[in-house]
Order: sequence, then C-alpha cells, then structure tokens
Amino acid sequence: MEFPPNIWSYVLILPIAVGMLVTALILVWWERRLLGWWQDRKGPNRVWPWAGGFGQAIADAVKLLAKDDWVPPFGDRLFFVLAPAIVAGSMLMAYVVVPWAPRESGLIITDSNIAVLWFLAMSSLAVYGVLLAGFASNNKYALLGGLRAAAQMVTYEVFMALSLMGVVILAGSFSLLDIVEDQAELWNIGPQFVGFVIFLLAGLAETHRLPFDLPEAEHELTGGFHTEYSGMKFGLIMAAEYLGLIITSAMIVLLFFGGWLLPPALQSLVPTGLASALVGLGVFAAKIIVFINFFILLRAAIPRPRYDQLMSLGWKILLPLSLVNVLGTGAWMLWTG
Amino acid sequence: MESLFYIAAVTALASTVLVVTGKNASHALIYLIVSLLSVAVIFFLLGAPFAAALEIVVYAGAIVVLFLFVVMMLNLGKGSVARESAWLRPRMWILPCLLTIPLFLGLVYALSGESVQTAASMVGPKTVGTRLFGPYLLAVELAGILLLAALVGSYHLGRRYLSERREEV
Amino acid sequence: MSTVVDDLATKVGAERCTVQETADKIPTIWVPREEIQSVLRFLKDEASTPYELLFDVSAIDERTRQHRVDQPDSDFTVFYHLISLSGNNDIRIKVPLSEADNRVKSVSSIYPVANWYEREAFDMFGIDFEDHPNLRRILTPPLWEGHPLRKEHPARATEMDPFTMTPEFQKAQQDALKFVPEEWGMNTDAKHTDFMFLNLGPNHPSVHGVFRIALQLDGEVIVQAVPDIGYHHRAQEKMSERQTWHTYIPYTDRVDYLGGVINNFPYVMNVENMAGMKVPERAQVIRVMLVELFRIASHLLFYGTFAQDVGQMSPVFYMFADRERLFSIIEAITGGRMHPSWFRIGGVCQDLPDGWDAMVLDFCNYLPKRLDHYEKMAMQNGILQRRTKGIGAYNTAEGLEWGITGPSLRATGSDWDLRKKRPYSMYDQFDFEIPMATNGDTYDRCRVRVDEIRESLKIIRQCAENMPSGPYKADHRLATPPAKERTMQDIETLIHHFLNVSWGPVIPPGESSTIVEARTGWNSYYSISDGGTMSYRTRIRSPSFPALQQIPVISNGFMVSDLIAIVASIDFVMADVDR
Repeated sequence: MEFPPNIWSYVLILPIAVGMLVTALILVWWERRLLGWWQDRKGPNRVWPWAGGFGQAIADAVKLLAKDDWVPPFGDRLFFVLAPAIVAGSMLMAYVVVPWAPRESGLIITDSNIAVLWFLAMSSLAVYGVLLAGFASNNKYALLGGLRAAAQMVTYEVFMALSLMGVVILAGSFSLLDIVEDQAELWNIGPQFVGFVIFLLAGLAETHRLPFDLPEAEHELTGGFHTEYSGMKFGLIMAAEYLGLIITSAMIVLLFFGGWLLPPALQSLVPTGLASALVGLGVFAAKIIVFINFFILLRAAIPRPRYDQLMSLGWKILLPLSLVNVLGTGAWMLWTG
Repeated sequence: MESLFYIAAVTALASTVLVVTGKNASHALIYLIVSLLSVAVIFFLLGAPFAAALEIVVYAGAIVVLFLFVVMMLNLGKGSVARESAWLRPRMWILPCLLTIPLFLGLVYALSGESVQTAASMVGPKTVGTRLFGPYLLAVELAGILLLAALVGSYHLGRRYLSERREEV
Repeated sequence: MSTVVDDLATKVGAERCTVQETADKIPTIWVPREEIQSVLRFLKDEASTPYELLFDVSAIDERTRQHRVDQPDSDFTVFYHLISLSGNNDIRIKVPLSEADNRVKSVSSIYPVANWYEREAFDMFGIDFEDHPNLRRILTPPLWEGHPLRKEHPARATEMDPFTMTPEFQKAQQDALKFVPEEWGMNTDAKHTDFMFLNLGPNHPSVHGVFRIALQLDGEVIVQAVPDIGYHHRAQEKMSERQTWHTYIPYTDRVDYLGGVINNFPYVMNVENMAGMKVPERAQVIRVMLVELFRIASHLLFYGTFAQDVGQMSPVFYMFADRERLFSIIEAITGGRMHPSWFRIGGVCQDLPDGWDAMVLDFCNYLPKRLDHYEKMAMQNGILQRRTKGIGAYNTAEGLEWGITGPSLRATGSDWDLRKKRPYSMYDQFDFEIPMATNGDTYDRCRVRVDEIRESLKIIRQCAENMPSGPYKADHRLATPPAKERTMQDIETLIHHFLNVSWGPVIPPGESSTIVEARTGWNSYYSISDGGTMSYRTRIRSPSFPALQQIPVISNGFMVSDLIAIVASIDFVMADVDR
C-alpha cells in the first residue's frame, strides 16, 4: 500500500460519501414501499406519484433538516451532539476500503492489506455512537437501549470477525480486492457457508435492525438509545442505520458472493476496459440490492428475540460454530497445501 | 507524513493528559479513545497497519466500550465529580511524577543516543502471524493460559455473585 | 343453592341476616359487617360448593333510594358477588353500613382480588376498609376531593363552579404524581445491587392505552411491578345515573371500545330481565351473530398486536385488513363501525339489510384460509414461541384467586365459558367448541383466542344459515324505542309513544345483574332501578380490571421484554379497566 495515496483516491471520496448518503435516503423510502407491498398496503406513494412516491424521501429529509434542533437540557450536551456524528462518521469511514469494481478500474478509495480489519474497526467504533447516545440522553429507556446496544454489538463483533477469518484464510489476504479475485473460480458462499450465516446474523446485530433491533425495540424501550433524538440528529442516526445496511450487504457480497464477479461460467463474457468497470459496478450494485431487500424481508417476517436469547445464541451457538469454521478451513488449507 | 506524525503525537499526549486529569469518568474515557486512536495513527505511520487496526478493534472497539458500559451502569451522578476532584488534589501528583522522571530520562537517553528509525519497513499481517507463531510461540501460549485462568476466575466470581443475588431477591 | 343460604343463616344466626329477592334470582343475603370475613371464608373454604371466584365487590349509596322492601337500614351497602364454578351458582352478600361509621373489614386477605375492588369502593364511595394493605385512591387522581359515586357528588360540569387551573393547583397535582418508590411498596436497597426504577407508561407504545406500570429493575429483570390505573377513567357508572335506560346504551359501547355491541349485550339483557321482557328469537340470533363478529374483530386485533409486541411487524397489517372487511359487514348491518350502539331494550335497532347473509357467508369462507396463513406466520414461529412459552404462567386456581375469567382462564385448562355453562340468548342452540389450553402462559392465552376465532366463525355461519324469521324487537311496552306503526291510529298509543320516547321507559324497581362472555372475560352489569326513568346505580364489572391487578404476580422475575408479552397477552383496553 502506498502512502500518501494517489490523487484519484481523494477525488473518489466525495462522490462515494454523497452517493452513499443519497442511497441511504432512497433506502428509507424503498424500505417503506417494500414493506408496504409485503404487508398488503401501499406505503408512501403520494408525493411524486409518477416516481412511485419517491418525493416522500426528499420531503422527509427536508422535514428533518428544518426541525428544531433540540438538545435535552437534562442530558450531556457534548455527547448528545457527538453521538450521531460518531455513528454516521464511522459507518461512512468503512466505505473507504470497499472496491466497487475490478482492480483495473481503480474504483476504490484505498486498497489496503488490512481492509477487512478496517471494516471491523469502524463498525466497532460505531458502538460508541449508540452507547453515547443512550448515555447522553439521560433517559432510562435510552440508557437501557445503550446498554443493550453495547453488549450486543461488542458480542457480535467477535463472531463477525471470526466468521470472516475463514474467507481470509482462503484468500490469504485481508485485502478485499484479493479476496474477490480469489473467488473467480468458486464463490466463497460454497466453502464458507457457515461463515456466511454467522456473518449475516452478526451483520444484522451490528446494524441493529429488526429482528435484532433490541437497542431500539420500540415496543419495549419506546425508541431505545435514540428516544430523545429528533431533527437532523435523528436523521443522522437513521442514515447511519441504512449506511450500515448497505455496507453489511456490500461486505457479504464481497466476502461471499464474488463482489463484482459474475458467476464463474459467465465471467468470460465480460468485455475488458471501461466496459468491464461498468459491468462490474452494475453486478456489484445488483448483488447489494438483493441483500438489502433480503434484510428488509427479514424485518417484515421475523419477531424479535429476547435480549438474553440473543446473547445466548451468540455465545453458545455462533461462537463455537465460528471457531469450528476457522479450524476447519485452516485444516483444509493445510491438507490441500 | 512527518506533520501527520506530530499531529497524532500531540493529540495522543494531550488527550492522555485529559484522561488523567478529567473529573468526569465518562468524558475521561472518551479522551482515552481519542488517545488510542492517535496511537493507532502513529502505528500506521510507522508501517504497522496491522497493529494499528488491532489497536482500534481491540482497545478502542472492545475494551474501552466495556469501561464505558460499566461507568454507564453505575450511573455516576454529580457526587462522583466532586469525589474525583477531592482525589485529584495537587498533593496526589507528587509521587506519580517522581516515579515517571526516571522513565522519562530513560526515554530521552534512548532517543538521543542514536538515530531512531521512524518509517521502518511495512509489517503486514502475515509477518505478524509468522512471528507470533514462530519465535514468540511460548509467549502466545502463556498469554493464552493466563487468559483462560482469567476467564475461569471471572466465571467463578460472577456465578457466586449471581447466586447470592438470587437469594436476596 | 338454598342450602348455602341456610348454612349461612345457621352460621351467622338467622335473626342477624336478611334475604332479599332480586330479579336475577341470585340469592342475596344481608349480613352484619362484623361477620363479613367469616362469611366469605366460610363460602370459600367450607361451603358445599366452594365459591372460588370473588366476582365483584362494590358499593351502593342507598341514601336517596325509595324502594327498599325487605332490606335492612343502610346508608352505604357494600356488596360481594361470588361465583362457584364447581356448583355453577352465584351468591351475593350485602353489608349495610351507616354514613357516620362506614367501616368494614377488608377481605383482601381471603380473596386477593378484593384489593383493587376495595380500593375502588373507597375511592368512589369513601368506604373505609379496615386492615386493607394499601387503601389509596385508584381511579381518581390522588388529590381528588369527594367520592364521585356518592349521590351528593356533582355529576356534570354545570353543577360545579367553572374550573380554573391555578399554578398552585397544577404544581400540587404534579407533585402528587411524583414517583416515590417507597410509597409504592418497593424495597430500595439490597446488598449487591442498585435498582433502577422505570416508569413504563402512562404513555408507552406497548401498554395499550394509558396504563402505567412502575418497575423496579435489577438490570433488566423485574424485581417488582406496580400497576397504576385511572388515567382513562370517565365515570361511566356515574353517567348511568343521569341517562335514561335507553340513552345509556351508547355509553356502554365505549366501556370496552374493542367490544362494540358486546358491551350492549349484558346491559340490555339485564334491563330486559328487570322489565320481564321476552326477546324474540330473531333478535336473539342477530345479537349472537353481531357479538361473535365483534369477538372476531377484537381477537384479530389482539392477535396482530400480540405478534407486534414480541417484535413481529407484519401480522398486524394483515389482520387490520381482515378486520376492515369485517367492519364493512358490521357497517352494512348497523351503519356504525366500532361503536354501533345497535342493541335495544327488547331487541335490536333494525332488521338485517338485504343481502346480509351473502356478505357474512363470504367472510366465513374467506377468513379460515387467512387464519391458516397467520398460524404459520405467527403461532408456529420459533422465535415467537420462545418469547412467549413459559412466560407469565398461572394455573386455574391462581387465576380464579385473581378474578381471571374468559380466554385467559381457559388457557389454564378450565372449560368455563358462560356461553356453554350458562347459555343465554340461545347459545345452547349452536354447535361450537370451547378452545382450551393447558399451560396458562402467554402463548396459551394467545392460542385460546386464536382458536376462538374459528369457533366464532362456526357460530356466525350457523346464524347466517338458520336465521329465524319474526320480529326483531319485543312487542312490549318498555321496549325502546317504542313501536311507531300504530301511533297515528289512536291517541292512547300516541301518548304512550310520546312519553316513552321523551322520558324513556320506566323500569320497575328491583335489582338484577347479568354476566356475559365478553371478548376477554366476563362482563357484568348490575343495575338497580328505583322505579324511575334512570338507573339508580349501575355497576359495570369488567374483565380487564382484575387482570391488571394480577400483573405483578405473574411478571416478577421476568425481563422487561417478557412483561411486554404478558401485557399483550392480557388483551385489555384501558377504557374497560377504568370505565
């Protein structure tokens, strides 16, 4: 890895950051439409009916921006303001290492031989945002939510890291470019299916979306760690949730579903040059969208386990399973040389 | 490069001082995170990205979270700030400072002696791994045993606490 | 049954007790106040058919009552309605009290359910229950002045000076609401733990209305839960004392706002009983059909919100869509949706519209398929089962101790459904089963209600296929509104019509209570007529009230998430609790 990186990296930062935030905005609306479709109702379809009601997303954003920026007088002001910035900031930082298209296209801010660790590091920093939000609100529901979030996210961090070690062993590298290129013959979903399942569950827990939305569990904690948040601070927390959703889907695709690669049989059809970058980007985006929709479907379908059930699922099932997975992959690598 | 190093170093020093002198436990912990992050940057600049990443994942991402978790659970009120200020009287600083002086002198001596390599060759994850399971294997094993002992110990303590509490309730 | 009365008479002394005749034929015995504890203990433990259930306790302000034949002198009467499930009979004990000395011993040590009922009687009448563990106001705010159900307490705003909110008043009220754990009987210190006190409600997404539970938490584990009610109190019972027998019907709709006409049912049957009216068969079957439709509507809502409260997002939307279809039927028949106020004294408001049976049968064919789908989606879901099985369980005896009736009791393995055990309104003519479960936990309470939907569908189908012909309202002079057909033919009928419409019917003096199997338990109306156009006293016994009192017993030691599931499984609405 070269440092400082070339100028191209700096150029990419802004479009990716803005692009992701806009995607998060679209996702808010998209999720509500999809849920509506699955739940026998319409969802937001009134603003800009010609665009399927997409205007609702913009209207919501404008509303959030225009709202009174209220900070609870009884809370910790510094942390209260800092928390949403940490959540959204760390989530955005994770995109630094995501390769959007094949190596030749250069559509990546920086390739690094610690890319996977970087992703883990950033998602572990996101815990602070949630924890501080819960703590700074000085509200008991927020506190309970923050505590749940901290325990849940720290716990699932462990399995998330362990689950993708199998992939790292197979590729022999922490670089996401290497990992994707290693899958040209066979996507990791085959050999690393156990790792995929664990990563999926851990990803759900890290982004604390239903069914693992215990930190905010509306029916129990009214809003959990963001009970006291409103306006754009709430908007940032919300955006961070969707940023997390996108990055988790992107990581699943990169680690287990061959990133921008088409299935091995079709890969030879991809032209070279600029076209390959475009095809790669399109394939990658399509795969991500599939997973985002899958996460939304999970939200529509599954009830929320109890806090202790979630924790015991983690420690009693996922931890041994992921250790066995790492062990097995290592043994297999040794065996095959 | 060099300016980045100095920025990170100054941030690390300043935030560490704030950790020690801070009266609000949770604020102090946040400074600790800042300090750890700037140390991570320094590691990175020194060509040890793996160590940098682990610094963030393990120290900032897991250990300090647990500290903060505990501080939140205890829900320290205004009384704790007063207590902290009572503890941090000037008199308290004398002994720690005296103890630090030899360390500081040693550091100055080490730094002034010969030219210090700032940007060593890159130490990638693979190198770290082969080193850990090569020359330092014994240390890794010992650390593993120590951690196992700690794990069993904390389980034992926690279980006794839980059963006692169950009787109370 | 009379043997119980004889046994009681020998126990207390025949000269000290009086037997009263009532329209509902429930043996009603007046005993002196010193004996109340021994009498109830006798009824609970020694009677030939033990009275397991203390169904209702309240009081009557007798000071302005005119017709009190066979009754001893009394200013305030406390009555206890007990039910023996083993013998399928009732008994009502009354205790006369004087205004100057209205003390009576608390029976909450014998029947724990009496705790809240006695608090309510204290709140509403100022009856002083001696040895009560916690005799505080329960429905009115802590600083309320007077006792609302006493006759001298104003019933409408126009009887009082205009209300002004002074800052001092506001502050005093707010200070009185402040949460002090010790006042709520919470122990604040333990060796190892700092407890957290969490105020769940009155506004919380999962308390189904304005209901407050003060929680003492150790981490997330509930050490103690203290429910607090009264935020939805609208003095329904007081209102009955200034509404005619007829115009009170719409108020009953709103007691349990999910029940719709189920609320009208016990009230009109009770008044009909006092008036000695025979309701035509067609009207009875129409009533049954509507009641069962509303039962389905309510159970669907319960089902959806139950799944939602354990975190499943979708079922509630499907079930609201189904409920909407159902309401379109109800709308076609009654013109209303949630509160049609459609039953009348002597029958129903109107005959069924053309084409009603096609709509009803359509729905009967449509819903079972959907229910199969929901079964897979919710009831068979592993996470939902793990969240609800073994949570908040009690057995039949414990349930009865706390006054639990209806589906929540049947979840413990009891087969007590009033529609089978004491068939009213031709329920004995229908072919349906009583769903039961055995564990009495949160899951089973949902299970029973879900199965009841199918049984209700069976009943509705039988109604639609075998609707008797005939009038939809009794041909009786007290039926409301009076028949209009012949009013333009002769002056006598016109006068009576005029009087009966403008005053409303005059119900002969007497007392009666009627219990029905309402949507979530037994709902009873106990009315006293003093020979006027208005009720002298109406007592509404709602099934949710005692169920909330039981929450601490079944939720201590569980987690906050479990409490939410427990609360969801009780299927209450606060309007029904506070009345």
